[in-house]
Amino acid sequence: MSGFTLSAVFVLTLLKLLLENIPQSMHRAGDSLLELNSTDGVANGVTTVVVYFRGFDTLGEIAVLFIASLGIGLMLSQNKRCTIKAQSNFMLHTAAKLLFPIITLYGIYVMVYGHLSPGGGFQGGVIIASGVLLLLVSHRDFEVPHSFIVALETFAGVCYVLIGLIGLFTLDVFLGNFLPHDISQMGLLMSGGIIPIIYIIVGIKVGSEMSMIAQNLIKRGDDV
Amino acid sequence: MIGFLILSLFLGIVVVAFASIIQKKLADSIILFMGVGLGSVVLFFIFNAPDVALTEAVIGAGISSLIFLMALKHLKAES
Repeated sequence: MSGFTLSAVFVLTLLKLLLENIPQSMHRAGDSLLELNSTDGVANGVTTVVVYFRGFDTLGEIAVLFIASLGIGLMLSQNKRCTIKAQSNFMLHTAAKLLFPIITLYGIYVMVYGHLSPGGGFQGGVIIASGVLLLLVSHRDFEVPHSFIVALETFAGVCYVLIGLIGLFTLDVFLGNFLPHDISQMGLLMSGGIIPIIYIIVGIKVGSEMSMIAQNLIKRGDDV
Repeated sequence: MIGFLILSLFLGIVVVAFASIIQKKLADSIILFMGVGLGSVVLFFIFNAPDVALTEAVIGAGISSLIFLMALKHLKAES
């Protein structure tokens, strides 16, 4: 009970501090970056920050996700197959088949329009992976071929680094925007130079990695 | 009016989060955790962050809870 009292006192102190020190004018952290945003001709400022100004960090995030997927693959043994015993009922079976193309289409839309509307590669990739997850849960014998996922993931990773290196050689900046990105094209699908291309690559990589994680967790048994 | 809505959402999220940590069954607490994610989605959307709201809806309320459920299944198979 003393723990609760302590945490209540802590929360009250924090609230008092916060309420006493309300800043008069709000200066948000990304303001200076958002002022630079329009120079790249991308309508969605968040996408410019995530993919362009912080492009190297995004490469690191994808690497972290890859390591997580690798860890799950290592923890669950390859040999012992753990299949879902109960056959899913007719409604789930049919609805999954009906919904999977729609979910995939929505994921691709979120991915491709990442530089115009909210969303982007991460969200679109995970939406596609959730569609794959629905099929994995409802169909007992459905499985994405391992070689297909590996090919997609390798392709996406290599393309990301290659685009960064081309920027490094042409503009002396890693992930430099070497394609035409005129401000007058802002709001069109073909705008922003390499930014939409990179976000689509991120989407492919995230989608394949999340599908791999879901497939490993559902289809494989424990080692012990 | 919108301030009242935001405040009640905040309180609701805190109540649901507290309810999720005092549940006896792990499956119930995962379901309530999904509720926390759902509340945060609405909050992010009200605070003009649709990108974060989309991410939270897909990852926080969707995939991560399903991964928790799958991990729970593996734990039950082990014991």
